[in-house]
Amino acid sequence: MNQEIAIDKGAGKLQLGQWMFNPFQFIAGGKALFMGVVFILVTSILGSISNTHFDGVLDVHSGLAAPAWFFVAEGLIDWLSLAVVLALFGLLLRQLSFRMIDIFGTQALARWPHIITAIVALTPGYQRYSVYIANKVLKTGPAVTIYDTDILFFALGIIVLLCMAIWMVVLMYKAYSVSCNLKGAKAIFSFIAGLIIAEILSKLGIWWLFTTYVKPT
Amino acid sequence: MRKLPTICPSCNSRLKVKRLLCENCGTELEGVYELPALASLPAADQEFVLQFVKVSGSLKEMAKLLGLSYPTVRNRLDDVINRINELEKNRNNSTRKEEQNESGNSD
Repeated sequence: MNQEIAIDKGAGKLQLGQWMFNPFQFIAGGKALFMGVVFILVTSILGSISNTHFDGVLDVHSGLAAPAWFFVAEGLIDWLSLAVVLALFGLLLRQLSFRMIDIFGTQALARWPHIITAIVALTPGYQRYSVYIANKVLKTGPAVTIYDTDILFFALGIIVLLCMAIWMVVLMYKAYSVSCNLKGAKAIFSFIAGLIIAEILSKLGIWWLFTTYVKPT
Repeated sequence: MRKLPTICPSCNSRLKVKRLLCENCGTELEGVYELPALASLPAADQEFVLQFVKVSGSLKEMAKLLGLSYPTVRNRLDDVINRINELEKNRNNSTRKEEQNESGNSD
């Protein structure tokens, strides 16, 4: 048997680095879509417990209380904004066709590090300190008693949050690259442009939803 | 069997076939023959194409066989297609050059 095919077969086995940073070599399509949507729903439910909002493709903010459906809607808007924009870029840039289910599925799965963010946001120290800051900034809500260690938990939480955001961006890029078979400068620049457009779109969508159905102004 | 070299180790140009041998009767043919496009591909690509034909051209079956996702296998196939197109383009260019040289010499 040929050497490279043998290597490819070996790649099918668990290889931590590839699974961490490019799981889409092994998972795509319907399976990725199902797993990704489940992860988005779990993240949203965890977020609703700690009032952690994923209010933008890359954003995480704590504080404002809202109905559970709003947290789910935020997750879905974030995912769909980026998937739709990158699918359009893929159609524009790629010479051969690709499956829409791959780009939507892999982009959904790429959001999985947010589950870790949502779990970190559940820790009492992080939660107390973020509510304390939110109340202070928004000048609303009751006074929150914080402990000396809370700032430490909060700082550690922010570091984890940043790492998860970076990891998620890497996964999003890999998902785009694998789904549309785009490489090099073309892939990088179109991904960055797509990310910026999707960030704006998701912000606008979530803001509209919030002001219309959650907290009318 | 030894691996068929397709690239010149000295200048990296594509190699052509100069001599052919019939193992049965020992007849030898000499000339300049182009390697078929598939034979000019790297060995890994040839193996990929062979596997792909064996699974009746099903990308889903290939993905299962290799333990990879559908788009990864499809991307690999696209890369092979691009390499074949590139080979054909180079071959057409070199044929055109040869024809131009020949017509130049006859003039």
